[in-house]
Amino acid sequence: MTKQMLSTATDQVTSLTASLATGLKLGEQYVQLLNQLATTTDANQLLSSASDLIKFDLTDAYVKFPHHYAPEDYYLLFMGRLLELEGVEGLEVKPDPLHRRLAMRLTSFENNYTFCFEQKRGKEGAFFCEQTDHEPLFNLDLAHQSLQFNNQALIDFLIVKEISAHNDLELQGIIKPLVTFANLLDSKLNFMINLGILATKNEAHFKLAAPELSLTVIDKLFVKTAETDTVLLSLPKNNGAKLKLGDQIAMTLCYDPDDYSKQWFFMVNDPKENLSFLDVLLHYPLVRDWYLINRESLAIMDNNFSYTPAADERVVRHTPATDAEPVKEEAPASAVNDDEEASD
Amino acid sequence: MVSKFENGAQPISKIINQSIKQKVNYLQELDQAVKAHEDQKVYALLDQKRYAAEILHREEKANDTGVMTLVDDITNHLSNYLSSKLINYLSQAYPFFYYEEYQLGHFRIYFGNWWDRRQFGELDVLNIRFIFDQTEYKKLAQSFELSQSGKRFNGEKIDQLSKENDRLQNLIDSQAKREAKKEELQAELKEASARNGLFESSKNREAREAIVSELSKLEDQDEEARTAAGKIKENNQAVLELSKENTILSYERKSIVDTFESFEDFEVQNHNLYANYLKSLVDGGKQVIAHD
Repeated sequence: MTKQMLSTATDQVTSLTASLATGLKLGEQYVQLLNQLATTTDANQLLSSASDLIKFDLTDAYVKFPHHYAPEDYYLLFMGRLLELEGVEGLEVKPDPLHRRLAMRLTSFENNYTFCFEQKRGKEGAFFCEQTDHEPLFNLDLAHQSLQFNNQALIDFLIVKEISAHNDLELQGIIKPLVTFANLLDSKLNFMINLGILATKNEAHFKLAAPELSLTVIDKLFVKTAETDTVLLSLPKNNGAKLKLGDQIAMTLCYDPDDYSKQWFFMVNDPKENLSFLDVLLHYPLVRDWYLINRESLAIMDNNFSYTPAADERVVRHTPATDAEPVKEEAPASAVNDDEEASD
Repeated sequence: MVSKFENGAQPISKIINQSIKQKVNYLQELDQAVKAHEDQKVYALLDQKRYAAEILHREEKANDTGVMTLVDDITNHLSNYLSSKLINYLSQAYPFFYYEEYQLGHFRIYFGNWWDRRQFGELDVLNIRFIFDQTEYKKLAQSFELSQSGKRFNGEKIDQLSKENDRLQNLIDSQAKREAKKEELQAELKEASARNGLFESSKNREAREAIVSELSKLEDQDEEARTAAGKIKENNQAVLELSKENTILSYERKSIVDTFESFEDFEVQNHNLYANYLKSLVDGGKQVIAHD
C-alpha cells in the first residue's frame, strides 16, 4: 500500500481487503507454525517452528489476535515436546490459567514446583526458572543453539533452599530430566551444551570462581573429617586434597601443579561416571555443610558461552518488524473495531 | 735431586702399585655390585666397619678412607641408585612414610598421606637411617605421652581459647543490658551529685564514687566488646590451627600404633633399621635379583 489519497469507495474497500488479507496471512502462518510445534514428530521441525514463533510478530493494525502465546511459552512447548518425542518422563507442560501462560510441572514426586521460561532484558534466549524465587537454572538459546546451566542458581535452588524440604533422591529427580533434555539437544539437534556442576564425566573440572583459595578452607574440611571414618588426603605433589566418599568414589579439590595461574577446581571420580559435583553436595552432608559455610571461597565459576551477535540479528530481536504495518490514519474507522469479533 | 724416601722399607713404586691395586679392586667390586644391583654388597663397601659390626658381628679395622673417598663425588648418584630398593622396603616396614626426592639422592620424608601432612625430616639413604626433624619428632613423642593420660596435644590451649570466646561473645550479647544499667547508674549519679557540695556526707560521697567506678567498669567492657568480634575470629583461626595439629598428631599416633604397637617399639625399629634392612636384602636377595 502506498500513502496516496484514496478517492473512491471502491479504492478504499480494496485497500482495506488487501490490508486484511495481509493480516489474515499472518494469522495463517502463525497457525501453521503452532500446529507444527504441537504435532511434528521431527526434532528439526520442532526447533525451526519454535525458533520462528519466538521471533514471530503477530501485531497487525487490521487483524487482531487477542489470543496467542508469548515467546516464553514456545520455549516451554519446545522443551515439553522434545521430551515427549523421546519418551522422557518426569516433566509435563500444562496450562496455567491463573497467569495465562503455560507452565511445567514435575511429576516424579509430590511437590509444588512450577517452572517457566523467562526472558531477560539484554540477555540472549530464555531462562528456565522455578517460579517461587526465579532462580535461572539454565539458559536456552534457540538462535545460537545452546543450553547452559547456571551453577549459582542450581546451588541456590537445590542446595540452599530445597534440601530441607525434599530428600536428595527427590531433588535428583528434578535434575535428571533437565540433564536428559540438554543431552537430547546435543545429540538430536547438535546444540552446544554446558552442564556446569551437573557434568558427571570424571575429567570434568569444576573451577572455582575466586582467583585464590586460602588453604584454611581445606583445613576446615580436614578437621571436620577427623570425627568421621574418612580421611582427607593430600595429593602426592601437595597440590590439593582428596576426599574418599565411598568405594572408589572420591572428590578432589586441587590445581594443576604445572599451571602457572594455580586455578583451583573440584573433580568428582566414580567408576560409573554417574556423579556430578551437585550430586556430591546433595548426597554428602559433610561436604555440603562445609561448602555452604565457605561458599564465598568455594563458589563454582559460571563459564558462559560468548557470541559475537550479527548486527541484523540484533535488529530483528529487539525491535519488531515494521515494514508490514499499514498507515493508521488512513484506515476507515468502521473497519478497525474488530476486537470483540475476534475474541472467543 | 735425590729423595730422602728412596731407601725406605719398600720402594715407592711398590707402594703406589699396591695402593692403586687396592683402589682398582674396590672399584671393581663396587662396579660388579652395582651392575648386579647387589645393594647389600654396595652398602658393605661403602661402610665396611659398620657392615662388619652390625651384619657380620665382627670387629673390623677402621674404614679404609683411601678407597672410600673414591666415590665421594658420586654419593648423590649412589643415594639415588640405592633408594629404589630401600624405599621399597620402607614402604612395607613404615607404610605411613612418604618420600620426595627434592634433589638427586636427597629425600624428604612426609608423615602420612593426609591433608597438610608434616614434613618429618630426611631419609639418609647411604647410612640407612631417618634424620627426623627434631621439633616435629618431639611433638609426636609428647603427644604419645599426653595420650597415655587421656589428654589431647593442644587440648588445654583449645579449651582456653574456647572459654575466652565464650566470654567475648557474652560481652557482645550483653551490650543492651549494659546500656540499661548505665542509664540507671547515670540517673543515680545525677541524684547523688545533687546532694554534694560543701556539706556532702561521707556516705553520699562514697556512694557517688562507687557509681562512678561502676560506670567506668561498664565502659571498659563496652570498649572490649567493640573489638570482640575480631578477636573471636582470630581465636577461631587459632583453634582451627590447633585442632588441625591435633588431628594430624592423632593420625600419626594411630599409624605408629597400627604398625609397631607402641612409640617405644617404633624407636627400637628405627635404631635397628640398618641391620634389619640389610638382612632383608640377604634373605630376599635372590628374589629381588631375579626381578632385575
